[in-house]
Amino acid sequence: MKKTVCLSVLVFSSLFADSDIEILKKQMEQQSKTMHSLEKKVAFLEQKEKQNVNTSASFSQNAYLPDIALILNMSALNRDVKNSEYEQAAIPGFIDKGEMHLPFNKDTGFNLNYAEVAMHSVVDPYFEAFANFHLHPDEFEIGEAYVQTTSLPYSLKIKAGKFKSSFGRINKKHQHSWHFDSQPIIYKSLFGPDSISDPGIQVQWIAPTDTYLMFGAEAMQGTNDRSFGDTDTNNLYMGYIKSSIDIGDDLSILGGVSFAHGKNTTKNTTNIYGIDLTLREQLGSYSAIIWQSEFLQRDKDLGAKSDKQAGFYSELVYQYNNNYSMGFRYDRISKNDTDLSSYGSIDVDNLDRYTTMMEYKPFPMSRLRLSYTYDRTKVIADERKNVNEVMLSLNIAAGAHGAHDY
Amino acid sequence: MKKIMIFMVLTTALFAKVNVDTTYSTLGAIVKKIGADKVKVTVLGSSKYDPHFIVPKPSLLAKLRRADLLVINGGGLELGWLPPLIRNANNAKIQNGAKGFLDISHFIPMIDIPASVSRAFGDVHSQGNPHYSTDPHLVLTIAKAIEEKLVELDFDNVEYYEQNLADFTKEWNKFLTKYDAKMAQCSGKKVVQYHELFNYFLKEYHIKSYGNIEPLPGISPSSKHTIKLMYMMKKKHIKTILQDVYHEKKTAEFIADKTGAQVVVIPHDMGAIGGQTLQEFYNNIAKQLCQ
Repeated sequence: MKKTVCLSVLVFSSLFADSDIEILKKQMEQQSKTMHSLEKKVAFLEQKEKQNVNTSASFSQNAYLPDIALILNMSALNRDVKNSEYEQAAIPGFIDKGEMHLPFNKDTGFNLNYAEVAMHSVVDPYFEAFANFHLHPDEFEIGEAYVQTTSLPYSLKIKAGKFKSSFGRINKKHQHSWHFDSQPIIYKSLFGPDSISDPGIQVQWIAPTDTYLMFGAEAMQGTNDRSFGDTDTNNLYMGYIKSSIDIGDDLSILGGVSFAHGKNTTKNTTNIYGIDLTLREQLGSYSAIIWQSEFLQRDKDLGAKSDKQAGFYSELVYQYNNNYSMGFRYDRISKNDTDLSSYGSIDVDNLDRYTTMMEYKPFPMSRLRLSYTYDRTKVIADERKNVNEVMLSLNIAAGAHGAHDY
Repeated sequence: MKKIMIFMVLTTALFAKVNVDTTYSTLGAIVKKIGADKVKVTVLGSSKYDPHFIVPKPSLLAKLRRADLLVINGGGLELGWLPPLIRNANNAKIQNGAKGFLDISHFIPMIDIPASVSRAFGDVHSQGNPHYSTDPHLVLTIAKAIEEKLVELDFDNVEYYEQNLADFTKEWNKFLTKYDAKMAQCSGKKVVQYHELFNYFLKEYHIKSYGNIEPLPGISPSSKHTIKLMYMMKKKHIKTILQDVYHEKKTAEFIADKTGAQVVVIPHDMGAIGGQTLQEFYNNIAKQLCQ
C-alpha cells in the first residue's frame, strides 16, 4: 500500500513537473517577445532623441547670459511752485540759484524719471560684475559698472570700477530701494543727486569676531564738485567702520561711522564726517518697524575762509504687512557756517523738511507710493518759499533683479 | 616655548570643528545628526518666519564669514535674501560653485515643476516646489548628501561620518515604519492649504490638496478667490485647512467659520511650533493633520 502511494506520488509529481516546465517555457517565450518589442521601442526612442539634438548649439552661450532687469520709475506730481521757478530754487549755503540738478520728479505733472537696465553676472571663479545703465529721458548714464572679487582670502573683498561709495548708510543704495522717493536734504546738499559715486577702488575687510565688524577703505576720483572736484589728480579717500548687533531674534541694530577726505575746486581740503544708525524691529514675517538716521558734517576749506556745515535726517517706517507700509521723515540742516551775505535780508535759518509716505506693494516687484512733502529749505525767486508737494510714484522691477542688501 | 606653540597649533587643528551654516532649522538638525561632535552648526533663518522672506540682517554676515560649509535648501527658496549675504560675507569657501556650498535641492526629486514661468502667475519657483523638508521620507536623502559633503571637506573623519549616517539611517527607518502606519489611516483625506507648503508630505501620504487660500503664490488672499474656494470646499466636503505659522490666520478662520472646516496649524520647519528634534517636528505634523 505504502509503495503504491509512493509510486503514484512520484509519477504525479513528475507529470506536474513536466507541465510546470511547459508553462515556464511558454512564459519565457512570452517574455522574450516582450523584451524584443521593448528593445525595438528603445532603439526607436534613442533614434528620436538623437534627432532632437540641437545641432546648431555647438557654440551656443545662452546659458551664460547675465541676469538682466528693467527698473522703471515714474510719478504724477503736484507742487505749489511753477516748474520754471522750481528749477531756479536754491538751498542757502549749499546750492546756489540755477545749480539745482533735478533728474527725478522735477515737474508738476508727469515725470518719467528713469528706465534703468541692471545687469549682474558671475564672470569667472574670481569675479562678479554689476552694471546699472540709467536711461533718463534725454541722457544715457552709466550709473554703476564694477567688478568685485568673490574668492579673496582673509575675509577681504575688492571692488573696482564706477560705483556708489559705501560711505554712510543710504549712499550706496539705489533710488528705487529708498524708503522715500526724495533724497535726504543733507545728501542732496553735499553731493547732489548721484551722492558719492565715482570711478575708484574699494577694499572691505570683515574682522574675525562673532559680532559683525566691517572696515572699509576707498579711493575715488572725486569728481563731485559740490564737495570735492579737484580732478587734476584723484583726490578722494574714504574710510568707514560698520557694526551690527542683534537683541533677541527680532531687533537688529546697525551703526556706522564714516570719514571722507578730498580736495575741493579751490584745491583745499574737504573733510566729511558721518554717523549712521538703523534699528529694525521685526514684528512678523512681513511686518517691521525701521528707524534709520544719519548725521553728516562737512568742513570745507576754501583758502580765505572755511565752511562748517552739517545736517541730518531721521526716518521711521512702519511696514504693516507685505502690501502696505507708511513712513515719516524729518530732514534738517543743523549747522550752516558759511557766507550767506548774498541772501541779504532773506531768512535763511531753520532749513528743514517733513515727508510722509504711504506705500502699496501689490507684489514684491511693483510699488505705488503716495507722499506728501513740506519743504522749508528753498529760496525761490528771491524769497524764502515753503513748498508743498504731493506725489504718486510707481516703481517696477521686471526681470531677473537680485535681492537688495540690508 | 616653541614646543608649546606647535602643540597649540596641532591641538587646534585636531579639535577644529567644521563650521556649518544652514539656511533653515530642519537642515541644521540633519547636519547635527551626521556631524555630531565634529561640526558646529549655525542656523541662519528662524523657523518662526516665512522662509522666503528671512531678513538679511548684517549679524548673519559675521556667521557666514567663518563658515566652512553652507547648506542651503535651494529651489529658489533663498533667492530673496541669501545672495547679498553670500556676496558681502567675504568668504571664498561658501560661494556658489565652491566646495563649501551645498544645495540640497539638487538631490531631491522636485515636484510641481512649472512648464513655463512668468511672474504673471505670482511668485512661481521655476525649479519646482522647494518645500520638500516636510516629507520625512526625504530626510535620509538629505542626510546622505550632507554625509558625502562632510566626508569631502573633512576626510580625516570619514569613518565617523559613515558610522553616524549608518546609525541615523537605522534610527530613521524605524521611525518611518511607525510613522507610515500612523499616517496610513489618513490616506485619502481632503485638504486646502494657505500656500503650497506641504505638497511633498501630502503626496507621500495620499492626501489630496484641492486649492490654496492665496490666489497665486505670494499674493495675499482676495475676497473673490476666497468665496470660490469656500464654494468648492462645500461641494467637495473638505473639512481641513492647513495653515502655517507665519501667514495671517484671519482668512483661514473666516473660511472655517463659514464652511464648518477646521484650521490646523502645521509647522513648515523644525521648531516652528515647539519641538526641538526631527522626530518631534514630523510627529507634530502628523498629530495636527491626522487627528
